[in-house]
Amino acid sequence: MWLYYFQQLVHTFPFFLKGLWMTVAVSGLSLIMGTMIGFTAGIVRASRVPVLGKLLFVYVDFMRGTPFLVQVFIIFFILPEWGLQLEAFSAAVLALTLYAGAYICEIVSGGITAVPPGQSEAAKATGLNWFQRMRHVVLPQAMKTILPPLVGQYVLLVKDSSVVSVIGVTDVTRVGWFTVQRIPEGLMVFGLVGLLYFVVCYPLIRLANQLEKRLRVDFGGL
Amino acid sequence: MRRWTQRLGVFALLAVFLCGLSVPAAADTLQEIVQRGELRVAVQTQGPPFSFVDKNGVRTGSSVEFCKLMAQEMGVKVKFLDYDWDGLIPALLSKKADLLAADMTATLKRALKVSFTEPFYYTGAVVFTKKGRAFKTIEDCNKEDVTIAVLLGSTGEAEAKRFFPKAKIKSYKGGGPLLINAVLAGHADIGVNDETAVVGQMQEFPPNSIEILPIRLSKQPLAFAVRPEDTHLLQWINLFFQWVREDGRYDQNINYWVKSLDWKKEH
Amino acid sequence: MLEAFNFRVLLDYLPLFLKGMWATAWLSGLSLAGALVVGTLACGGRLSRFRLLSALAGAYIEAIRSTPLLAQLYFLYFGLPSLGVRLPEYQTGILALSLNSGAYMAEIIRAGVLSVSWGQIEAAMAYGLNYFQRMRYVVLPQALGVTIPPLLGQAIVLVKDSALLSLISVFELTRAGQIITSERFMPAEGFFTTALLYLLIYYALKAFSSWWQKRLIFVQPA
Repeated sequence: MWLYYFQQLVHTFPFFLKGLWMTVAVSGLSLIMGTMIGFTAGIVRASRVPVLGKLLFVYVDFMRGTPFLVQVFIIFFILPEWGLQLEAFSAAVLALTLYAGAYICEIVSGGITAVPPGQSEAAKATGLNWFQRMRHVVLPQAMKTILPPLVGQYVLLVKDSSVVSVIGVTDVTRVGWFTVQRIPEGLMVFGLVGLLYFVVCYPLIRLANQLEKRLRVDFGGL
Repeated sequence: MRRWTQRLGVFALLAVFLCGLSVPAAADTLQEIVQRGELRVAVQTQGPPFSFVDKNGVRTGSSVEFCKLMAQEMGVKVKFLDYDWDGLIPALLSKKADLLAADMTATLKRALKVSFTEPFYYTGAVVFTKKGRAFKTIEDCNKEDVTIAVLLGSTGEAEAKRFFPKAKIKSYKGGGPLLINAVLAGHADIGVNDETAVVGQMQEFPPNSIEILPIRLSKQPLAFAVRPEDTHLLQWINLFFQWVREDGRYDQNINYWVKSLDWKKEH
Repeated sequence: MLEAFNFRVLLDYLPLFLKGMWATAWLSGLSLAGALVVGTLACGGRLSRFRLLSALAGAYIEAIRSTPLLAQLYFLYFGLPSLGVRLPEYQTGILALSLNSGAYMAEIIRAGVLSVSWGQIEAAMAYGLNYFQRMRYVVLPQALGVTIPPLLGQAIVLVKDSALLSLISVFELTRAGQIITSERFMPAEGFFTTALLYLLIYYALKAFSSWWQKRLIFVQPA
């Protein structure tokens, strides 16, 4: 019977690839936009802008403190009541972007605060303005602490994207749920799903490890 | 601690504010469907025979085919929006879909929130077990050392609790085949689910691995659902079912999908 | 969905929600403890001088991080029985969460340990402290300070991940919300209450970690 199921699974493999493509598309788009939002928010937060900083706290707390499923639900089903009707795909990308943005904001603001304040002060003394200090002094150093967890966050993003299948985005997890109806060998089907995620995530993990090795920093460790 | 309470307060205020913003729009959904030329149906992919993705990757099943027929009679296209169970009701209530078509039991509690059509089929919860186990009667199953697999929130769950109060109930999520899996893997001794679902889904398992006990626990109406205010659409669907019952298309569908395994050959 | 938000029915289901919250709390508590143990062991293995041990720990960490929890849960629940090991649902769930989170914990703890500069360890060696003494008195107290924020982050992720256990019939907070959705067709009520209760857990964890961090700073002036 195992062999029979396996043959069936091979037969459905093209759908899995389609699902994988959807997973990559949704998480790829959110990755790009989430990074932009996350960096902007992280810099604002680390710069301790008065009101905006407080608002960012609320945003980050909400995203980190509630289940992602609920966030997807609000964006897809509740926003229409306030006039924003989104397609499943755009809703999924929006939800994932906001979610990833919050985590990236944490990572970025953490990385910036880890740069010794003396650096920024010295730059100030040489007459650099805020933007120049950020761009040429603080961020390049902060990147060393930011990059490894950032790539780690991308891996989580890819895996978290599986939640959007609840609103009918046919990603690789959803294909798995469809298939398990026909090939009721849950272990085999979700083994394949796991393998496909692995194919996407593993290179990212290796990249994170490499970055960590290369960028290992030791501030003031002289 | 004050900071946390403050922030929770902000959330509460935000929630209240946003609740106030929502405006209920009143329009005849059926007119809207005809206007836009598309019937939007929320479905679930819970497995044969009602709604599933067949081996060619095409969405089909008894409910799905009924909806296609409905759209044909309306002279519009049909669009299936596929959700998880969790997304099904929200999709209907948030107007993403005009109609919810699943093998959903029209319980009285649920009917407080949506309008159900006239039942299109009656099914009942049955008990199944791994072939060769010594379960024959209700009494056999109603024992403390018996574990029963059911689907979360299903009527099978309610029936199992009613008929086997002594047994241990495990509620799974994710579809009927999972229950059969759980029974075969030994996580549960027996399973309780709709007869239509069990019969359809056990076909995918090794032959003679599952046995349905000759006990039918209940008789339940399956129905489609629309938003409570959509009486026009509701009446239209009821009329539709009267028509197809008269002209044989109803029997054709049910005989092919539900009462036999003819669909297995092509799907 | 919101204009008919029903607080009265919600009140009827409140005991169920509280029961679910309690279940989520103790399930995640146990898994968190398990994850810390697994994480410490895996981190020890990863940093070990024995190549084999280090490679094994590395493989475990990477395999877990690059596959979804769903696939891991399925493997333990439906896969192990075919190898002759059948664990009950709660144990399976706690095991899966511990193993999953343990891999992330291992990385966090490792980053903490590596953040202690080599000079400190050399100084401790010069004092004649042995490996365990160095770990106990020099490395770990400093490493802990650095690791608390990411550990908190991981703890929160774990709490939310525990929602997946409802797939294998474990009752917890997310499931309470699903019950009100399926019995009464009240998704908004179910989802928002679930989100609020998760948010409460989140703030409790956050308060605890900032209290702990403050205490640590008092204990050892860093």
